[in-house]
Amino acid sequence: MRDVIIEARGLGKTYGSQRALADVNIAVPPGTIGLLGPNGAGKTTFIKCLLNLETPTTGTATVLGCEIRAQNRASRERVGYSPEQDCHIPGMAGCEYVTYCGQLSGMSFQRARQRAHEILDLVGMGQERYRSVDTYSTGMKQRVKLAQALVHDPELVILDEPTNGLDASGRESILQLIGSLWKQLGVSVMISSHLLHDIERICDRVIIIADGRVIEHESMEVLKNRHRRIVELTPSGEPERFISVLKNAGLPVERLSNGHLRVETPSESAEPILSLMRQHNLPPAEIVANPNALHELFLQSLAASKTPQNGNAA
Amino acid sequence: METPLDLRRWQEKPAGVAYRRWVIVTTGLRQLTRMRIFQILLFLAWTAGVLMAAVGFIFTQSVASGGWLESWAADFGPRVHAIVSAVCSLVLLYPDICIHGLFSTVFWWHSFVGLGLSLVALSIVMPRLIARDRASNALTIYLSRPLTSFDYLVGKLGIIVGILLLLWTGPLLFGWLLSMAFAPNSDFFVYSLTALLHAGLFNLIALVTLATVALGVSSLGKNTRSVMMLWIGIWIIAGAIASIPTTPSAIRAASFSHDLFEIRQNIFRLDEILVKAGETLPIINRDVARTMIQAGEHAQSHDIASAYAGLAGLVIVSSLVFSRKLRPE
Repeated sequence: MRDVIIEARGLGKTYGSQRALADVNIAVPPGTIGLLGPNGAGKTTFIKCLLNLETPTTGTATVLGCEIRAQNRASRERVGYSPEQDCHIPGMAGCEYVTYCGQLSGMSFQRARQRAHEILDLVGMGQERYRSVDTYSTGMKQRVKLAQALVHDPELVILDEPTNGLDASGRESILQLIGSLWKQLGVSVMISSHLLHDIERICDRVIIIADGRVIEHESMEVLKNRHRRIVELTPSGEPERFISVLKNAGLPVERLSNGHLRVETPSESAEPILSLMRQHNLPPAEIVANPNALHELFLQSLAASKTPQNGNAA
Repeated sequence: METPLDLRRWQEKPAGVAYRRWVIVTTGLRQLTRMRIFQILLFLAWTAGVLMAAVGFIFTQSVASGGWLESWAADFGPRVHAIVSAVCSLVLLYPDICIHGLFSTVFWWHSFVGLGLSLVALSIVMPRLIARDRASNALTIYLSRPLTSFDYLVGKLGIIVGILLLLWTGPLLFGWLLSMAFAPNSDFFVYSLTALLHAGLFNLIALVTLATVALGVSSLGKNTRSVMMLWIGIWIIAGAIASIPTTPSAIRAASFSHDLFEIRQNIFRLDEILVKAGETLPIINRDVARTMIQAGEHAQSHDIASAYAGLAGLVIVSSLVFSRKLRPE
């Protein structure tokens, strides 16, 4: 097992005077990695540079131990990529397309065909696999895109917004599949998504990119521990009493527009607040620890990256 | 949260880059051969090959001593028999003119058929080469795999080579080989080989030109219809402009169909064959000989240097276009 799957050293990319990626230095261990950042932050450019779809202006990187420039083809041999936009080959049926992608990665026709059917089963494609990809719905195109990224059994899969266009149940099954890739097969996943909740659910590590720079790279556990401990509780009644009890206990409380109370707590769990509520005979209808933790961390990181003393701003 | 993955791992060593390029070629050709119109083109091309074989077969069998032509002519009396015998003897006496001349003429004729069918096929395949991959972002799928844009180009080039092999070179070789298979002596092989090499050379020049121009045009746009219109424009409209006698030679040279016509005339040298036949063959009377010499002069290429320069320019410009356009978007 490798210690590091992706290593970037001074990686940068500019388009004319526009800087898309600036001096990225990062060593990413295997696992399920979330890539976060606002629109135009440089996430896709970072991915494209790793895949050699864009030539870096400065620096270099290794993917699965292969130098991306010097070992151009080899660096992508065990990498699967599912881009954000539709990218099918018109006129091909789903299983034909996935088989073809397997062959393009060096699989024999028989192996690629067999594997294509297995993967299409896995992503939930039924008989529609024999239909032309042109006729697919957005959700089906997402599934077949994921299948082509997995067909050659990569060590690393890079997924750009893999749940776009999927309905709730489709999204759930794809997220389950992505989450299982590392845990059951040892396939590392780098997933770029705007849906922080999805990242929080399946990733064990997060990279946050803003203004072309990596402003955060930590395991999810460390990030959550660093986060202010927030508890969100739903009063069962008498919200004013809830607020006064919490304030008297010295806890900052904020009333949200949906009637919930947002409480900052020094503890890592919600237990002290629960015992406080019990003492005052105020049972909450619902209590959630650290809701939207990643969202808050994300916003904090972005805000921090824009402060002048940080020096990361464009 | 977790779903059980019933998936066997694929741990074999991936096949090399030559295999991956070959996959692009064979898949592209397989997609093409499913099309009805391409099947019709294939039928026409191989029918031409069979016709060529038939002409060659009849020719080689006819001039054989005691062959069916002599026997058949004998039925029409001694005069006809004597004329036919004299013609057959001419072939044996002047094989460099008769055999080489006949096969050059047949291959020259076939080059029109082969090139024409290839151009029609390229018009069909043009949007499928690069334009459609660009429009559907399939280029990203190719280049995110262990392939470079050079491998991709080689694959697409292979599709064009495959088309020309199926529609032009294949029927040409088939026709020649079948003619030679039943030839009564080795003269037919020896004196038709030069004509075949000339045909092969022209085939190669057309292949390089058509492949680069086709790839250049196909990579110019994402809209498949506009790419097809552009190709037809470069092929037919530029060709029509070049055929106007008053068109300046620089503009004529910009038409690949005009350039290929000039190069065809220069390679097959039908002018030399006709003049030599008119001057050498004793059976031909003066009027026929004069007509043959005049036809030979008419068949000369006029501005071969401009034609080669024009094709070279088109190849360079097309190469620059597709090498710049082959980036994922």
